[in-house]
Amino acid sequence: MVFKLVREVLRVGEATVLYPFVPAEISPGFRGKPKHDPALCIACAACAVACPPNALTIAADLDQGIISWSIFYGRCIFCGRCEEVCPTGAIQLTPEFELAVMDKADLYEQADYQLAACTQCGVLFAPAKELEYVLSLTEQAGLSGEELAERKALLSVCPTCKRKNDIPKLLQLDQEAV
Amino acid sequence: MAPDYTKDTLLGASRYTIHVDEETSRLKGTLLKDIRRSVFVYRVDCGGCNGCEIEIFAAITPIFDAERFGIKVVSSPRHADILLYTGSMTRSMRVPALRAYHAAPDPKVCVAYGACGCSGGIFHDAYCVWGGADQIVPIDAYIPGCPPTPSATIYGFAMALGLLKQKLKTSHHMQQEDEHIHPRHPEIPLDLRIDVERESRRMAGYWHGKKIADAFLDLIQPADPQVEQHIQEHLRQQDDPRLTEIFARLQEIYRAHPKGE
Repeated sequence: MVFKLVREVLRVGEATVLYPFVPAEISPGFRGKPKHDPALCIACAACAVACPPNALTIAADLDQGIISWSIFYGRCIFCGRCEEVCPTGAIQLTPEFELAVMDKADLYEQADYQLAACTQCGVLFAPAKELEYVLSLTEQAGLSGEELAERKALLSVCPTCKRKNDIPKLLQLDQEAV
Repeated sequence: MAPDYTKDTLLGASRYTIHVDEETSRLKGTLLKDIRRSVFVYRVDCGGCNGCEIEIFAAITPIFDAERFGIKVVSSPRHADILLYTGSMTRSMRVPALRAYHAAPDPKVCVAYGACGCSGGIFHDAYCVWGGADQIVPIDAYIPGCPPTPSATIYGFAMALGLLKQKLKTSHHMQQEDEHIHPRHPEIPLDLRIDVERESRRMAGYWHGKKIADAFLDLIQPADPQVEQHIQEHLRQQDDPRLTEIFARLQEIYRAHPKGE
């Protein structure tokens, strides 16, 4: 009886993982700590909109002319929505899971980006990097020369000014129709 | 004796706050630094979904075996050294949370466990949610995760007891002058990229869809005549019939797309 038990114990061996002494075994597809690459981020806020628990937030400070991206790991549910919506691949989930901290402040990460001013009225309206990215996309889409310059001029104007610029054009179209 | 906090928290508008006196915090420091015996953990569920509880129990199974470090889950706060607060701290659970806190003998360490315990998690802005254990009791360590894996649980305890070092540090990045951004896959036509990404997400879902589309776009180089061979090689390596099917659909899109003209 005892012999049988000992044999069974030897057959099964040790089940316990050696985790804190050796690195933990991570399965492929494990969703761990989202890693943010500030150089790739364009502060477009797609992640902040997608984030279900609002762990990712974007706030603009118009006095300083910056837009701040921030993450609070204490609220993150590791769903990967941010990685999926990120147009530039700036945020990616890593297998990193050792996130415990003694001080809550260590759960926060922040990145500040410059806001661009409207060329007509001077109001800060969008992250400068985002405008640069949109422009490079239009270039990739095949626009060049005069068309690209026109698009660039259009992009550097705030939505309010765009509307104001459109009104005379619309009126003109209206009159032509009559 | 525990103070009469029930009146204050249940009926009054003012919030009951706990003050940890100097003597207690000194004792707590000693408990954290040189504890020379097992630590007894009492689990306080303050309105969680039970996911965290499942992971805590997974951490004390023979596979992860937290008890080899002397971490033992007990069934009464009166035996506890560590109070483990899970759940987003709902209105009706804050008094039991306080009762557990006062029932545990000093010095005690409070740990917020899981996204909900740390901050309220996905429920942080729901009605009747106080948003994290630190709104009610003084918290010494935070273990984020939704839920934290058993490994993360063991790491959190080891870190709280000073056996392992904290890895996460806060950071603040300021935009640099030379930061410039370029679109990904610049050699691939924009409309082809959009078609591939859309189809891949439609077939594989939100997270894997992007990963598969990226893998596919990495493989196709418009000038490369051996694109099909590269794709076949990739599929052979992955050996996944689901991926093969999605790639076949993406290849159809790629072939139908006009090239170079």
